[in-house]
Amino acid sequence: MKSDSIAVDVPAESSSVIKGKAPLLGLARDHTGSGGYKRGLSIFDFLLRLAAIVAALAAAATMGTSDETLPFFTQFLQFEASYDDLPTFQFFVVAIAIVAGYLVLSLPFSVVTIVRPLAVAPRLLLLVLDTAALALDTAAASAAAAIVYLAHNGNTNTNWLPICQQFGDFCQKTSGAVVSAFASVTFLAILVVISGVSLKRP
Amino acid sequence: MAKESTTIDVGEPSTVTKSSSHVVKDAKKKGFVAVASRGGAKRGLAIFDFLLRLAAIAVTIGAASVMYTAEETLPFFTQFLQFQAGYDDLPAFQYFVIAVAVVASYLVLSLPFSIVSIVRPHAVAPRLILLICDTLVVTLNTSAAAAAASITYLAHNGNQSTNWLPICQQFGDFCQNVSTAVVADSIAILFFIVLIIISAIALKRH
Repeated sequence: MKSDSIAVDVPAESSSVIKGKAPLLGLARDHTGSGGYKRGLSIFDFLLRLAAIVAALAAAATMGTSDETLPFFTQFLQFEASYDDLPTFQFFVVAIAIVAGYLVLSLPFSVVTIVRPLAVAPRLLLLVLDTAALALDTAAASAAAAIVYLAHNGNTNTNWLPICQQFGDFCQKTSGAVVSAFASVTFLAILVVISGVSLKRP
Repeated sequence: MAKESTTIDVGEPSTVTKSSSHVVKDAKKKGFVAVASRGGAKRGLAIFDFLLRLAAIAVTIGAASVMYTAEETLPFFTQFLQFQAGYDDLPAFQYFVIAVAVVASYLVLSLPFSIVSIVRPHAVAPRLILLICDTLVVTLNTSAAAAAASITYLAHNGNQSTNWLPICQQFGDFCQNVSTAVVADSIAILFFIVLIIISAIALKRH
């Protein structure tokens, strides 16, 4: 009789313990999953901002330091080329510097979205400002790309001669700056999409 | 005595009836107002989204058409410049026409998704698709406008450092049409930015 009662008690206790733990694990998992999904997006957002800052600073610095002086005087072209000889390159340096400055200032808001993954206001603010920065960045990169293309190839219809045969280093640096600017444009476009995905209801 | 107690009993049921009807009316009114305002706000945004898309379609088609028909032939032959200017003489203008035509086509194809957002204001998938595609297309549109603007600026002013001469003194009408096309496309870019902001506001939780 006594041994029978002991045998019955053991499985009952173990089964109740298992049942008790399961719901807690489930709840914890759901909660962590929701936060983890949004927090993962926020961390990716932060890393992309760092990458965009590096690309934008590289673009502005390369364009800003693209001076070149020829060792001889040529008949038709002056012997020095710099980014401030062309208004489009001046606009490029100023615009990319503004975008880089904005991205640095936006890092605290990105950190807030990591700490509080479900907050809506900072994400909405970031998306609106990212869209404006994306437009400015794209405008600067494309305008400079058009001039760099013209510097390389010229245009026979308008009698605009190419200048990259004399100023090879200058054109190489300006081309590098444009490529770097388009890299930051790509990062900004992905940032806008990430903000949009994060805003939607879970 | 008996009559007085009967009178009191009749009064109690009327009090209970009044209070219950009052509660029911209040509950119904609150629910109706809440549902109407919620759907109304999102539907209003969706309608504004649709109207902005129509405006952007008109502006982009106008821009592409003006650039495409921006040819000009001079009545005399000049020594240094050829006597005809068209959009296909410059790669930036060719890119402009193609890119803006692609943007206009996308806007037409996006109208059904905008209509779905009007019919079902709380649906998330169509708004997210519109946001992602709008972002990509605004980038394409901005790149076309900026490239054409830089070439147009060069055509107007030239550049002494590179010995690039301005051509707008000879081809005044051509440059005027080209400038008009660039300005029109810039307006379309503003519409796109507003569209993206509307999609983002509509996506957020209420």
